[in-house]
Amino acid sequence: MNTTSINFKPFIEWDNNPFILFNYQGKIIYLNNASEILFGYVSKKEIYDIAVAYAPQNFGYKTTALSLNYDSFIFHAITVGYEDEESISIRLYNTPRNRPIHKIQKDNLIVTDINILLEANLALFRTKNTNPLTLLTDQDLPAFKIDQNSFSKLLRKTLHTFRASASIDISLKLLFGQYVIIEGRKEAIVELDISANGRYVDRDKEIDTLAQDTNIRCFLKESSIKLEIPLIRD
Amino acid sequence: METFFTTSDKIHNIIKSFNLTKRLFVSSIIIGEANIGKKSLAKHIFPNAFVVSGDNQKKVESALEDYDEIIITDFEKLTNQTTLNLDNKRVIATANYIGNSGRIDDMFAFVYNMPSLLERPKDIEYVKDIFIKKALSTLSVDESIIDRDKIAINLSNNSKSLEKSIFLHILKFSMDSEEIEDILYNHIYENLDGNDGYKQYLALYERPLIKAGLKKFGSQLQLSQVLGINRNTLRKKIYEYDIN
Repeated sequence: MNTTSINFKPFIEWDNNPFILFNYQGKIIYLNNASEILFGYVSKKEIYDIAVAYAPQNFGYKTTALSLNYDSFIFHAITVGYEDEESISIRLYNTPRNRPIHKIQKDNLIVTDINILLEANLALFRTKNTNPLTLLTDQDLPAFKIDQNSFSKLLRKTLHTFRASASIDISLKLLFGQYVIIEGRKEAIVELDISANGRYVDRDKEIDTLAQDTNIRCFLKESSIKLEIPLIRD
Repeated sequence: METFFTTSDKIHNIIKSFNLTKRLFVSSIIIGEANIGKKSLAKHIFPNAFVVSGDNQKKVESALEDYDEIIITDFEKLTNQTTLNLDNKRVIATANYIGNSGRIDDMFAFVYNMPSLLERPKDIEYVKDIFIKKALSTLSVDESIIDRDKIAINLSNNSKSLEKSIFLHILKFSMDSEEIEDILYNHIYENLDGNDGYKQYLALYERPLIKAGLKKFGSQLQLSQVLGINRNTLRKKIYEYDIN
């Protein structure tokens, strides 16, 4: 089979796995679409350093199984290759995700102003803690459907992990251009980001379970928790 | 409508949180010692809620079927908490203590811990004033007789013991000799027994007589004259009753 006439570039361009080509100084020569989104969450230096660290000893390609986690991106392997001294490439392999098996309990969803739930939970948090809090919220967020009771539990438990943090920064905003498919419908995403200098991780499993039950994606990190809440309108 | 007063920041935050969620369908629980105002607070914020006590499991279960807004008092008394379905209801529970904190954590969206009266000094003064006014009116005692700072308040059982201690204090100013005699009569009638009754119960009268007399007249000499008894007899009784 003659393959020389085939232009492979679009295949790489539209590959869901990030692919980046660096020059010998670590500057990006080429990156595909998936990489552009990835660089919103990780620096190019970090990826370049990984490429160099896992490069094959001689010219050629080497695939290494390793676990990388950048926010919502989880990779289980990388392939690093170089054919000359000028450039080095890295391809990161997305870990397949389990599709959520939770069916939405529509009866429990009530149109709610999320800011009210957040304010109420912060008032509850303040009855037990005196840590300084900063809150940056979008008051224009439209009301959307939430399981008020379960979401409040999730918020309470999430905030509780910051009970001893020196100061806590909370932001609530609409993620522009990002969507999630829920029961065949494309829904916008509201992101609640809580970060501090550190936090307890003792309730992470409960938080994860509660988030899954309410169709919320949660990212539990060492000093922050991010909740991606689907903005279900009807 | 139930009124509720507090200067406690903690309780103000609880009220704020409740006010924000009062139109939402979330389950909340207020936990704290007995007689600190949990039920009053819940009734103050949710005046139209159906109120049911946790000492009757079946009533609570049927209330949850019939009403969307319910106050469950004494939640700790429920025989089976896990069978209750609190989803999509506006439930406000109150409990004096929590048996299983994990269960409470899973059942309720908002878990509030209400501080006791002892932790709310300004609230004590406010509640104390209310009880003093109530006692003065009930017992028909003139306010000018009472020195409110001299009332020894008891907070061991929060508002209940506080109210009792205030009533007992003011009661002392409301009784005439006949009523005091009646009280002594009842006490002696209920308790008189043994073989040393005369001496034992005479002390009920003699001890306060000498204590009050000494306080009022200062010296034993003057008191013996007022009482019309021999100074040595008085001294002997002071020693006998161990009065300083």
